[in-house]
Amino acid sequence: MSTTRPRLRRIPLSAAAVVTVALCLFPVYWMVATAFTPARDIQSDSPRLVPRTWTLDHFRTAVGADGFGLFWRNSLLVTLSAVLLSLVIALGSAYAVARMRWRGRRQFMLMVFIAQMAPWESLIIPVYIISRDTHMLDRLPTLTLVYFMMTLPFTVIVLRGFIGTIPPELEESAQVDGCTRLGAFRHIAFPLLAPGLMATSLFGYITAWNEFTYANFLIIKQQDNRTLPVWLSSFQNVFGTDWGATMAASTLFAAPALVVFLLLQRHVTVGFAAGAVKG
Amino acid sequence: MKLRLFAGVSALVVTAGLSACSSSSDGGSGGSTAIDVWLMRDSVSDQFQKDFVEGFEAAHPDIEVKVQIQEWDGIGEKVTAALASSDAPDVIETGNTQVAQFAQSGGLLDLSDKVGELGGKDWLKGLAEPGAYDGKQYGIPYYAANRVVIYRTDLFEKAGVDPAAIKTRDQWIAATKKLNTGGTQGIYLPGQNWYTLAGFVWDEGGDLATESGGKWKGSLDTPEALRGMEFYQELQALGRGPKDSDEANPPQADVMAKGKVAQIVSSPGGANTVVENNPALKDKLGFFPIPGKTADTPGAVFTGGSDLVIPTASAKQDAAYTFVKELTGDTWQKKLAVAMSYVPNKTTLSDAVAADPGASAMAVGAAQGHATPNTPGWAAVEAKNPIKDYLTAVLTGGDARKEAAKASEAITTSMNSGT
Amino acid sequence: MTAVREQTASHPPPSAGRPRRSPGPGPRRPSKDGGPGVWPYLLIAPAVLGSLYLLVYPLVRAVVISLQDFGLRQLILGDARFVGLDNYGTLLGDSRFWEVVRRTFLFMAVNVVLIMVLSTLVALMIERLGRFGRIAVLSSLVLTWAMPVIAATTVFQWLFHSEFGIVNAVLTDLGFTSFDRYAWFAHGPAAFAILVALIVWQSVPFAAITLYSALTTVPAELYESARLDGASGIRIFRSITFPVVRPIFLLVFSLEVIWTFKAFVQIWVMTNGGPGDATTILPVYAVQTALSSQRYDLGSAASMVTVVLMSGVLVLYFRQMFRQEDELA
Repeated sequence: MSTTRPRLRRIPLSAAAVVTVALCLFPVYWMVATAFTPARDIQSDSPRLVPRTWTLDHFRTAVGADGFGLFWRNSLLVTLSAVLLSLVIALGSAYAVARMRWRGRRQFMLMVFIAQMAPWESLIIPVYIISRDTHMLDRLPTLTLVYFMMTLPFTVIVLRGFIGTIPPELEESAQVDGCTRLGAFRHIAFPLLAPGLMATSLFGYITAWNEFTYANFLIIKQQDNRTLPVWLSSFQNVFGTDWGATMAASTLFAAPALVVFLLLQRHVTVGFAAGAVKG
Repeated sequence: MKLRLFAGVSALVVTAGLSACSSSSDGGSGGSTAIDVWLMRDSVSDQFQKDFVEGFEAAHPDIEVKVQIQEWDGIGEKVTAALASSDAPDVIETGNTQVAQFAQSGGLLDLSDKVGELGGKDWLKGLAEPGAYDGKQYGIPYYAANRVVIYRTDLFEKAGVDPAAIKTRDQWIAATKKLNTGGTQGIYLPGQNWYTLAGFVWDEGGDLATESGGKWKGSLDTPEALRGMEFYQELQALGRGPKDSDEANPPQADVMAKGKVAQIVSSPGGANTVVENNPALKDKLGFFPIPGKTADTPGAVFTGGSDLVIPTASAKQDAAYTFVKELTGDTWQKKLAVAMSYVPNKTTLSDAVAADPGASAMAVGAAQGHATPNTPGWAAVEAKNPIKDYLTAVLTGGDARKEAAKASEAITTSMNSGT
Repeated sequence: MTAVREQTASHPPPSAGRPRRSPGPGPRRPSKDGGPGVWPYLLIAPAVLGSLYLLVYPLVRAVVISLQDFGLRQLILGDARFVGLDNYGTLLGDSRFWEVVRRTFLFMAVNVVLIMVLSTLVALMIERLGRFGRIAVLSSLVLTWAMPVIAATTVFQWLFHSEFGIVNAVLTDLGFTSFDRYAWFAHGPAAFAILVALIVWQSVPFAAITLYSALTTVPAELYESARLDGASGIRIFRSITFPVVRPIFLLVFSLEVIWTFKAFVQIWVMTNGGPGDATTILPVYAVQTALSSQRYDLGSAASMVTVVLMSGVLVLYFRQMFRQEDELA
């Protein structure tokens, strides 16, 4: 329909698009730019939009900092296991809700929505006490379980939408052809669901990759088990005025998420929302 | 097959997490006991830490020491979590003002019967008293320091200012004004350096909080305290200290090392950090006590410092005690005092730093040493420090009287809600 | 609908998996193997069991704590004593608490309105853009969305740094000299505004992308015929676009309400609730009370009140959702 519109009318539209892109990207750009700017220029009274000279010093400082690689690994481990766990478990629930009729289905979905509201910040003391009494303090699997629970409700909601977009007739015809219900799902629905699973996992990934409060409070003595967000928040203390190194650390912290999102962009924008639409 | 593969992968990842965890949980080997020690950032230099740990492990081959450096930010919560856990670190350094609160909770080991053995009769009062609660000794004095003025000798010379002649506040202001020209900052005083404000308030005869009938009440809104604030404001304006942060953020020693800053208010140990960051300033730093209202009394200062505590949840209390005994013993205390320009934990050891200019400036001020209110409720005030907000509010143009009343009320609420 | 109100007004009852009422919706189409049997229950069992242990159990413990005298001593030694509703009494009688509640609603309202308006506009804009523009805008939205909270918060602190921040430099260059070394985080309203900016910046991408996808499901023929009828743009939006995207709009809306109501990390890392109390909203208040003042009992009570308040806001949405589920069934 845009073809019928005169060119002139597109100018405000394009301007709005440019403004949107600029507003979205500027903080990200500024983080990266600062990370590459020599310390001398960072602390100048008149910051420049484009660094005059570039340096890798800050990245060296950040990577050379104590335990950077270790915390990276910890974060990755906790995040991946939490996301996988919640995908697997949510898939079952989502399938039951989207495809089967049973007593308590509505109540179950209501509970999922209520679980989404869980005040996690306030559960930290009980979770701390429970972990202490079961000797799970200071251990990464504890974080995995917490993150799994944090992402589970949302994963169920979105996956249910995705499964809803796949016509049940496909599976039914497979069942006619002699497949079991599970077989039908596995061979027919699951491949179609892959983009949805990927898109959904991104949300869980972001949540778990970011989580700070629990990681900060449940990892006490074994500092080798700290995760990146905790490290990053202490980075400012450790490096003080060194905003360049802080921004380099932030860049390195953000990089995996940025890369994954860009790679999966099509699935995120189309797949993810398509799932939500039907929800 | 895909589903099973999925489950398999996730189980793998989870178990990988488990094993990664268990492998790092125990550093000890053979028959030796490994103890975890928490020290605060910048309380000792890397070099001293290394020397001490090596010396200690040589003397006690059966004990292995693992030191972890903690940040001051959010330390209260961190120590709380540690004390309440079933596997706490074995020795923790805490600020002297924080001991009471932890002692009250029952999370600290009562060390009263060791006081004699550790030479407790000579301990500095400013460390020993806050370390005791309800007649029992929980915190063992570790080191003390109070604030002095660290100045750049070269900048003073260039401006023609004689530091030895600065004995009163008026002279201090006049000198700082003279220094504060061109690219030079007369003084770098961050807006939220509340210990410095406390000193000015004490000078005027005011206090941060007062007790009557068992109830504490914030008292920043008294006329005395307001005069202290006025002076702080006057001084703060003679440099480019940020009005919205404290001396740790950015670390003021960094700022002094990198820029043309004529003075900072810091414990003398700060000078080491300045030189570490900018070796060119070696031999260009001097010290004088914070000037008082009149030439015959130096400015009041907060007696800062740390105690060492042993959590009741520590599984290796004997080894932990051995560590505390060594670090607070005379041999290492002397070395620590020299290395870090601290006041040693015993009055009998003060000779150790007699030759140190920073320490002697500190000793002058120490005569006017004050402490924050010794009550478990005070830690709650420091946790969400309304004094910092007060400072920033006034420095950025707020009405001092109104803001002081607000801050005092916040202090009152905090002090009486914690217990 | 009484069941909805009953359940949302309190915390979720532990019997999450089991039905309290049996609506008994008939199967939409006859199943080949004669009804699902126990399968659905087996399928949801892991989720239900996991939630029982990881969510409901801690929640029950939190409720118990809120009914006890529970401070640092009790955390360490574990000899807490029940005090009934005393903590709730203390909390509700505290004027500072009500100030925080008021601020929380203000914070939520400002954020949610801005997020919904901006993301709707962005979604409508994307729909009208050409291929290139669409990809550019979507990519930048996705990048923003992917930016980790802690990293974004750190970057915003840096942007608004009083001395070396780019925002102050640009404003000063533009002639607003009063912004020379302006201490943003020292002024309540300014700190509040920065947090709103940060949260809106982080939330718009999700909302906009989701709404945009919903927009793409509106059949083009509907637009054509409406335009032939001479309907204005606003009219088309109101009578065609909005009704179609309404369920998604509501979903996004309620998620944003939940998320902004629970916004914590950004505030905790950036301002710690300060200066003064200017950016203290309920979750921050609860954590401050619990962790900094070591009144775990009061902190828990505050969280329970938070959950009740949040449910109150969302009760309308739940009714809507329930009705939809009925239609589906």
